[in-house]
Amino acid sequence: MSVRQNKMIAVVLSDTLSCLGLQNLFDNYFPEMEVRFFASFKELPQKLQSDSFAYYFTDADTFAMHLDYFLTRRNKTVLLNSNKDVASLPANMVSTRLPLEQMIEQFERCLRIDETVVSQPEKGKGLSEREINVLRQIVKGFTNREIADHLNISLNTVLSHRKNITAKLGIKTVSGLTFYAMMNGIVSLDEINM
Amino acid sequence: MSLIQPNMAMSEVVEAHTSLIPVINRLGIRLGLKDKSVREVCQGYGLDADFVLIIINTFLNEEYFPEKRLKTFHLSLIIDYLDKTNQYYLMYQIPNVSRHLELFIKHSTHDNPTLKLIGRFFQNFKEQLTAQIQYDEQVWFPYCISSMENNLPSASQNARLDLKTEDNTEALLADLKSIMIKHLSGNYNENLCYAVLFAISTLEKDMKQHNRIRERILKPMVLKVGK
Repeated sequence: MSVRQNKMIAVVLSDTLSCLGLQNLFDNYFPEMEVRFFASFKELPQKLQSDSFAYYFTDADTFAMHLDYFLTRRNKTVLLNSNKDVASLPANMVSTRLPLEQMIEQFERCLRIDETVVSQPEKGKGLSEREINVLRQIVKGFTNREIADHLNISLNTVLSHRKNITAKLGIKTVSGLTFYAMMNGIVSLDEINM
Repeated sequence: MSLIQPNMAMSEVVEAHTSLIPVINRLGIRLGLKDKSVREVCQGYGLDADFVLIIINTFLNEEYFPEKRLKTFHLSLIIDYLDKTNQYYLMYQIPNVSRHLELFIKHSTHDNPTLKLIGRFFQNFKEQLTAQIQYDEQVWFPYCISSMENNLPSASQNARLDLKTEDNTEALLADLKSIMIKHLSGNYNENLCYAVLFAISTLEKDMKQHNRIRERILKPMVLKVGK
């Protein structure tokens, strides 16, 4: 599974029920979002320089009372509105009266999920030449000690290579690694007896 | 997911979660459930409804695992369930994956060597799981029962009698699935491939619950007996 960078959302709402509803929606449909709730604007961290939130969810009243703050964050602010006529709503407004299905669609649009940074550290990347050598030894059934001797590296280095191989490939078992190595032509069938 | 309650109609529960059918079957419950509640169905079969409900709910919800309550049941009840689950793997689920896999390999083009590898990988898994089940039957389960009956003092060391296979069987299945999804190449029959993956996923899910009960309930219970 890809590791999505957590996106923080600030919800500035005094209405407890709305907050609970939002929490439920985020948890079920956008679990990669990290949501913080603030019952009033005053509770928001006021450090101007660091703006750690990717989005702000608030109502029209709060928005109007702190125009300076929200206008500079216009692209990140989503306004909750009880208007049912969606067609007349601007893109950054979400109607709270819609059925769940349409609500989710609105959220998807506002959160621009596609644009969230997907970072895949380690995983999915190819193995290094060193790691491939270690893999070859593993599938041939050698012990860690033997691998260290054959490749002229320390036991700890073997262990750390093994750890990286498992992390990169997402394969935990020796049989799995063998299977992977054969399917990808790293070893041939004749080289091992499976 | 909301938990299944004793007063719900068993037929409705099963209709909503057809994956429960093999689970209730191995407990002895058969279809033709009429409008009876979960509790009534269990009573009809002479089963402990509380135990059945926990089995059903832990099977459906990964987050649900009432460790303390499970440990209050008699050890023989838990072993009986694990044993029935083992038999179910041997008699139905492993043959089911095998059957699909054979068809999959046969109906895909002959010049695809990766498919033969998949066959071998599964064979390897099957051997390990079968060995583990045999060991359960012959050594581990009888040992658990006798340690319970006789309150064996040295049980704590011997709890390691539980057979450790070379690779964890659950991890093997997960690897097989993930490798097929990521690294399958060449020509192959898509529909049969899905059937194989579906059968593997079903078995994987079942084994997860089985192992959870085994590791977190049975082992600690046997350990405690010895103390």
